[in-house]
Amino acid sequence: MADDDDKGYRWETEYEKTWEELQEDESGSLQASVNDILHRAKRRQLLEKVTNVRLGMMRHLFVVIDFSLAMADQDLKPTRHLATLKLLEYFVEEYFDQNPISQLGIIISLNKRAEKITELGGNPRRHIKALQDLTSRACQGEISLQNSLELALSTLRHMPSHASREVLFLMGSLTTCDPGDVRETVKSMVEANVRCSVIGLSAEVRLCKTLAQHTGGSYGVIIDESHFKDLLGQQVTPPPASSQTESSLIKMGFPHHALVGDKDKEEKPSMCMCHLDSGTAQGFSTSGYFCPQCKSKYCELPIECRACGLTLVSAPHLARSYHHLFPPDSFRELLTSDIIADGPVCCYACQVEILDPHVYTCDKCERHFCLDCDLFTHEVLHSCPGCASSRSLQTVQAGL
Amino acid sequence: MATTIATKAKKLACKDLHSFLRTLPPTVLDHLYCHPATCLAVFRDLPELSRHYVMRIMFVEQAVAQAVVRQWSTAPQEEQLEAAAALMELRVWYEKPLPGGMPGWLLNHVFRKNLHTALLGGGNPWIGNKDLTIDKYAKDIPFLDKYALERWECVLHFMVGSNQGTDGVNTDITDVLLHSGLMRVDEGEPSITAEGFQFLLMDTSSQVWFFLLQYLDTVQSRGMDLVECLTFLFQLSFSTLGKDYCTEGMSENQLRFLQHLREFGLVYQRKRKSHRYYPTRLAVNIVSGLSKAAVDTHRPGFIVVETNYRVYAYTDSPLQIALLALFCDMLYRFPNMAAANLSRTSVRAALSRGITADQILHYLQSHAHPEMLKNSPVVPPTITDQVKLWELERDRFKFNDGVMYNQFLSQADFELLRNYAKDMNVLVWEMPEKRVLIVTKSGHDDVKRFWKRQKASS
Amino acid sequence: MDGIKTDKLESSLLIVILDTNPVWWGKKKIAQDPMTLSHCVDCLTVLANSHLMVSHNNKLAVIAAHTDISTFLYPSSQPARPDIFKLPDDGQYEVFNSVESQLRTQLKTLIEADKAQVDYMEEQSSDSLLAGAMCMALCYIHRLEKECPIGESLTARILILKGSDDCPSQYMNFMNAVFTAQKQNVVIDACILDSESGLLQQACDITGGTYLNIPQAQGLLQYLLWVFLPDPSSRSKMALPPRAQVDYRAACFCHRNLIEIGYVCSVCLSIYCSFSPICSTCQTTFKIIGPQKLVKKKIKKP
Repeated sequence: MADDDDKGYRWETEYEKTWEELQEDESGSLQASVNDILHRAKRRQLLEKVTNVRLGMMRHLFVVIDFSLAMADQDLKPTRHLATLKLLEYFVEEYFDQNPISQLGIIISLNKRAEKITELGGNPRRHIKALQDLTSRACQGEISLQNSLELALSTLRHMPSHASREVLFLMGSLTTCDPGDVRETVKSMVEANVRCSVIGLSAEVRLCKTLAQHTGGSYGVIIDESHFKDLLGQQVTPPPASSQTESSLIKMGFPHHALVGDKDKEEKPSMCMCHLDSGTAQGFSTSGYFCPQCKSKYCELPIECRACGLTLVSAPHLARSYHHLFPPDSFRELLTSDIIADGPVCCYACQVEILDPHVYTCDKCERHFCLDCDLFTHEVLHSCPGCASSRSLQTVQAGL
Repeated sequence: MATTIATKAKKLACKDLHSFLRTLPPTVLDHLYCHPATCLAVFRDLPELSRHYVMRIMFVEQAVAQAVVRQWSTAPQEEQLEAAAALMELRVWYEKPLPGGMPGWLLNHVFRKNLHTALLGGGNPWIGNKDLTIDKYAKDIPFLDKYALERWECVLHFMVGSNQGTDGVNTDITDVLLHSGLMRVDEGEPSITAEGFQFLLMDTSSQVWFFLLQYLDTVQSRGMDLVECLTFLFQLSFSTLGKDYCTEGMSENQLRFLQHLREFGLVYQRKRKSHRYYPTRLAVNIVSGLSKAAVDTHRPGFIVVETNYRVYAYTDSPLQIALLALFCDMLYRFPNMAAANLSRTSVRAALSRGITADQILHYLQSHAHPEMLKNSPVVPPTITDQVKLWELERDRFKFNDGVMYNQFLSQADFELLRNYAKDMNVLVWEMPEKRVLIVTKSGHDDVKRFWKRQKASS
Repeated sequence: MDGIKTDKLESSLLIVILDTNPVWWGKKKIAQDPMTLSHCVDCLTVLANSHLMVSHNNKLAVIAAHTDISTFLYPSSQPARPDIFKLPDDGQYEVFNSVESQLRTQLKTLIEADKAQVDYMEEQSSDSLLAGAMCMALCYIHRLEKECPIGESLTARILILKGSDDCPSQYMNFMNAVFTAQKQNVVIDACILDSESGLLQQACDITGGTYLNIPQAQGLLQYLLWVFLPDPSSRSKMALPPRAQVDYRAACFCHRNLIEIGYVCSVCLSIYCSFSPICSTCQTTFKIIGPQKLVKKKIKKP
């Protein structure tokens, strides 16, 4: 296979004189220069976000965790194994926060075998519990990339065609021990339209790179723990849907929350379906969400009805994903001195007087914003305060 | 046969506004409430629940049934009683039966009226609230901060007896210091006392407040009116930093008080006869900010404490270094920084001077360097624990007041009395071999009576 | 022995969003309702000043949500002019006085700007752009949190005083703001002066705030002072109105009916009450799901 990556490796490129970018200000401090570079980097990240691409909103993701001996390494504190599990807990929470109607499953790989820890499911707490239980598990032997992929594929294959199928591999080991030709498996992953992403904890591995490239996933090797967190964070946003993903209408239930004190109904406490197996009295009450199809009771949403298989969500759950679909346009950078105004230029959103030489402007509502608000609106808020306060720009029709 | 043993401990206590006001006679309180500023200050100092009670009945003219008030809150009973008691103590409300005979609360109408005024307007303007022409010599906030700090440090310098810039300290300040027991006269020269050291370790706002309380104690002996001074102080506390106010309309007493405050650095006045004055940061919010603000807001901290007991102080102020030397072994001095060590000996030396571990830790925390403030907790736990352990070391004796009984004639007598004392739960200590026992002071009368009865009957 | 004081200097920021929809307030005026804008602003001023009165660390901002603009009423973006910042001529605390005068001046400017435009403007909408005001409030909170010195902490909350109708076209912006508030631990309270608002019910429920529809216009001030003055942290101590039941059912995009079972587009998550072959939002054509798998397998085999 020819190396079609024209970038090559970093050590092959010309030596970067990174310090030349830094410039001292009058007082001899580098702080301003460093801040400037940081801000630029942040903005670049924002601008790189591709808009107007169809996204795979219904994700089915298997997270494969390396449990080989390589994970006992202590380069991440306290060990790679524990650091990874800790970050994954945060990842799972974020994943379900940003992708409320998606599912997730966990596979671990050790002793040349792959083992499924949790089935695909939409309940974050179940996965977090499983991750916490995994901390006491020892790392052993070698991993098998092939077995893990096959195991993930065996489930993902049956997922509906409108869903995006994904595998995220967290790999500390540099080797894999497989029963057959792993390249065949890579091919079958491509055929099944499974997007495979890999985050390496030690060094770049050619096989992983190939896997990610061919299946349309991403491959990154961590520099340190915060970079690890960043790379995981990138996996939280839904990926662009591949051309083979079909679109369809999915039947969903929007259950009404019945509280204690519904006058006209006769009140009989009942057991909710999610706590049936726990054997505790938890979940035994009159309140809860009732599946509109089969009237099974659940204490929280979103969940897939155990009895009839209907996906139960509430309207705000769907709304949480909207910002991926309709992101605000990025702002244009202007020079503060170019703005003609009587008095100082103030940020429209936070009222701060802009002393920075740059101002950011929304092309739609033509309001000016400071850099902080620019970053805040695009990273957290996902709505332009100016457009939201302008009647003529209320275009998107949505619920209610 | 009975001997009395007594103990006594001494610690500098800084009263908060609430406990200060509680000591004032009711007539003075009622007078104080005639000014909106006092009402505001008192309101802010109330417990949270009490504040909400006041807010709720502020626009209700009649008495409200106590049963109704009780239903407003779901807080535990004790907290509710505490809230109601705080309002009673300060005469913010008082009990008044409803027409039906039910017990009710009625808001002090002077308080209500003046709180209304503060909140909504109306009534007379505050003293000296008159728009002034633009000041030719207008002062900005940094200048005022610098001025206030210089003045205040003068007082502190004077206390530690350093000869730097003490010329500005006049008899008024010395009087207050002597009166409060922070200093005493030794061989004609005032010198600092153990309480004085504790005072030095407090943060500036507490120092100012403590000092003012002591000053107010002496106000009447100077022939000034306490109510007038307090009213002005409260008003000053609600003024805006960096803004000039007019002295017009102030009474003779208040003008004198202003001159004193000027000496302490609480206000800036360019000339004694000037008609305008600027409140400094020491004065603004002195009343309300005191209990909460642990950090000196106007001066960045400078102390870094490491887990290896090293203390670095980024300061060149001889005063601060002298303070640090109270409980640290100084190691090095550099132009802008000094290094020191916290050790058992140095801390014990401070403890034996009457400084407590809490005061040391509070000093370290309230002067912590901005970089240190990012840690949580600010002072490393090992240091906190160790300093407290060093203090506990000295506390191995537990002192109990008691009365000793000895010289019993027989073991039976001893045991009879001991068992009685034990049953009464007043026995402190016993030694059967020597027939000695000690009972608490409160139990002494009982035991004595019992013994007399026994003797009489036998 | 008690430990060293670890309690940080805490300040509480209250942002009030006042709905100044001219259509709604105008209707109230014509109907001679006791609830007038000036009455409401009076009550609001008392609440705002009471909040500042509770502690000197407390901070305040007031934003007006108008039909086609959101603007800060306090603190005003214009630099303090000497004539605004003058000492009160009565016994009011000077800070409260400046709040009151700034609020009134800014509101007057807003209304006069509206008046000037009224001739050549199309019909005004009867709903206000709440989401824009909420976004501004969140940006403002974000800024103050950043400016907060080390060792101090800031808790912020938003109180929405609303009379006019919900604005369905703002649903997305509104929900974005609500989720951001939830993420930033900002509590959203709502004080409703007229008809129930489904959107605000959800907002309050998600962020843990209080939703209250004022039963009597005359009692507005008492409700504000009792229900909305206490900080969220101290609300557990107060006997407050119970939480209302929130309707989380979705409304379909096609008929705006509330539905229990619906169909969701896998591409843009639009909700429909019945199956349709084309998504009207993103123009995707759908395949019928049922027999799909069988068809696929048949193709694969040869």
